[in-house]
Amino acid sequence: MDDFEGKKILVIQTHGVETPTRTYSPLFYAMAAAAMEMDVMVWFTMNGTNQLKKGEAEKIKLDPTSDVTLKTMLEQAIESGVKLRVCQQSLALWNMTQDDLIDGVEILGATSIINLALESDHVMYF
Amino acid sequence: MADTQEIRGCVIRTDLYYSVDDHTWVQVNDDGTVNIGMTDVAQNMAGPLLHAKTKSVGTMRKKGKPVATVESAKWVGPVKSPISGEIVAVNEEIEKDATIINRSPYRQGWIVKMKPTNLDEELKGLLTGDAAVEAYRQKIESEDIKGCEHVEGFEA
Repeated sequence: MDDFEGKKILVIQTHGVETPTRTYSPLFYAMAAAAMEMDVMVWFTMNGTNQLKKGEAEKIKLDPTSDVTLKTMLEQAIESGVKLRVCQQSLALWNMTQDDLIDGVEILGATSIINLALESDHVMYF
Repeated sequence: MADTQEIRGCVIRTDLYYSVDDHTWVQVNDDGTVNIGMTDVAQNMAGPLLHAKTKSVGTMRKKGKPVATVESAKWVGPVKSPISGEIVAVNEEIEKDATIINRSPYRQGWIVKMKPTNLDEELKGLLTGDAAVEAYRQKIESEDIKGCEHVEGFEA
């Protein structure tokens, strides 16, 4: 395995709970990059924001025979060192405030995300 | 055969050293090298493994840094080295068929061989024998880790 330690990956997630099959993979890729010692951030914006509302991610389960829900994936991502950030402006789309967010998510504005995109070695957009 | 104990069906070999929190084991070889791998508990939690990618031979690793990444259908994560040292060999077979780790986590499914740089000191921070079994029992019970199920041909 090549050494990618310290590379920066920015994953942008624009899909939310209304399209469950589009929710797991970006988190899975983020965890893979974290396992490869990269500096990984997932940026939730547009519809992606709604999965971060308390009580929502628990309802999403792709495999009915498994215990793993979208909430599990989000928690595993945080545990593996992936940083979760949400777009401040998109919170309003879903009538959400900071109090509605699950633990471990920070709010950033649009200028911050542009800076992060420019500083990253690669951006993955979903 | 090495002595083994079972906790909820998960096999712990008492002759190995364990980093219970990271679910890894260390076997000290006669030539001073060590083999490193995932525990039976780890391979069960991950489920059938699809891929295993090791770091390259010659890579220096500090304790706690990944020596490999493994992935299943539901999980992807690092195998963190319980020991500091240089990777002197990797198990190429698991890169071709990662399910070897599911079938034989402590033998055929070894992940890397390392030449340790601080073995005596770092072994003191790992657990072996009954102490390892007891620590794993506590972890499995406190985290309510599901019992282990083994594939056909499993060996400890």
